[in-house]
Amino acid sequence: MHSRSHTRFVIALALLVAAIGALAAQDVSLPNQPDSLKFAIIGDSGTGSSSQYKVAEKLIAARAKFPYEFVLMMGDNLYSGSGPKDYKKKFEEPYKVLLDSGLKFYAALGNHDNTDERNYKPFNMGGQRYYTFKPRNGVRIFALDSNYMDQPQLQWLEKELTASGSDWKICFFHHPLYSSGMHGSDIPLRDQLEPLFLKHGVDVVFSGHEHFYERIKPQKGIYYFTSGGAAKLREGDVNKTDLTAKSFDTGYHFMLIELAKDALHFQAISDQGKTVDSGTLARVSDQDKKKRASTGS
Amino acid sequence: MRLFTRVTHTILVLVLTMTWPHAFAAQKPAVNADAQVLQDFKARVDKYVELRNKADNNNSAPPIKKTDDPMELRSAQQALAERIGAARTPAKQGEIFTPEIAARFRKLLRPEVNEPGTKATIKDDNPGAIPFKVNGPYPSKEPLSTVPPNVLASLPPLPKDIEYRFVNKHLILRDARANLIIDYIPNVLS
Repeated sequence: MHSRSHTRFVIALALLVAAIGALAAQDVSLPNQPDSLKFAIIGDSGTGSSSQYKVAEKLIAARAKFPYEFVLMMGDNLYSGSGPKDYKKKFEEPYKVLLDSGLKFYAALGNHDNTDERNYKPFNMGGQRYYTFKPRNGVRIFALDSNYMDQPQLQWLEKELTASGSDWKICFFHHPLYSSGMHGSDIPLRDQLEPLFLKHGVDVVFSGHEHFYERIKPQKGIYYFTSGGAAKLREGDVNKTDLTAKSFDTGYHFMLIELAKDALHFQAISDQGKTVDSGTLARVSDQDKKKRASTGS
Repeated sequence: MRLFTRVTHTILVLVLTMTWPHAFAAQKPAVNADAQVLQDFKARVDKYVELRNKADNNNSAPPIKKTDDPMELRSAQQALAERIGAARTPAKQGEIFTPEIAARFRKLLRPEVNEPGTKATIKDDNPGAIPFKVNGPYPSKEPLSTVPPNVLASLPPLPKDIEYRFVNKHLILRDARANLIIDYIPNVLS
């Protein structure tokens, strides 16, 4: 009898959690097509703070409605140390539900990360500072180490971009090439990467580092997003410039992305479950990419 | 006429005497002192890598490998650092960055680190004045400074998992695999 009432209690609790999750996820509004590629983005997440856990809850809830297949991490995955306790408190516990369900996380390294995180299997970095993977035909994703953009990495990137043909090309790394925040645009990095992105037709770039959300107006035909507020927030830090298409710096957030043929649908959701930005971006045609590669603009 | 021939002869002998040694000297291969210094740097780094490889292949401790157990990661990295540390003892500042090499590096860095964008990037992620020492670990709670690509391009290339970083105004040489500070040049930034 005692056991039966315990079981009832557990079921009731599970239903309550599911209901709360569904409510929190009610703001998910991407097209959510059955065959599209769906993924999520978190940046600067590894604080272990209540804010990280709150955003994690919303991320988990969103998956009930929008079954994303993996999560990209923009770096600063573990702040202030990378001992066993840090991995537990700042990654394994907040995302436990997702990890237990078999969901994959793909990490890039930030300036607060120990290089050794590349060997931590749940980050799926394959023991490398930079790597690439193909989640499905027609899409190629590149994770870069923007803390240390040396010649071997640049050569590797050029080779891999060349080999990726006409796939969607998505790059992610920690430091934004364009930003209206405190850190600002990383010009030395941009000088190295942008010519390669133009030459090889990169479509979209995601970064973190700045603790807010910013969608940049397309730069030379490339779409840029900064998403570094999954646990850290620098309130009021966006100094809106001509670069900014949309920004959000009054709360924490994460992003959902959906790729369906030549369209990229995006949605940035706050820790309150509110949509702070959303829209659809059309992929630049190969012809236009060739044109911009030859003119450099 | 005879006098003229004698004078001519004397001048010829004088000219030959003065230029002959230089003619020989010109045949010796020219030595590029800067290249020699960088060659020395490479040799010193290679020697360190050899030492690390030996420590890495030592069967007495677990190797660094991909794992989902953070404790394994931490233990393997620390064990490697301890083996390297023991093999290098006593290691001191200047073992790799000798005064000649340090002077050359300062010269190579100067034009790059004074460029405003580069300066800002280095400053942005710099951990500031934190205590560190040669053969000691890079402080695990501190961020790693970003090293801008133009700075990296101006310095000699390094073997895999050996890297340049900035700590405050100093340039350090870090073993990324062992998280160990190999050596440093003080005050390369103004």
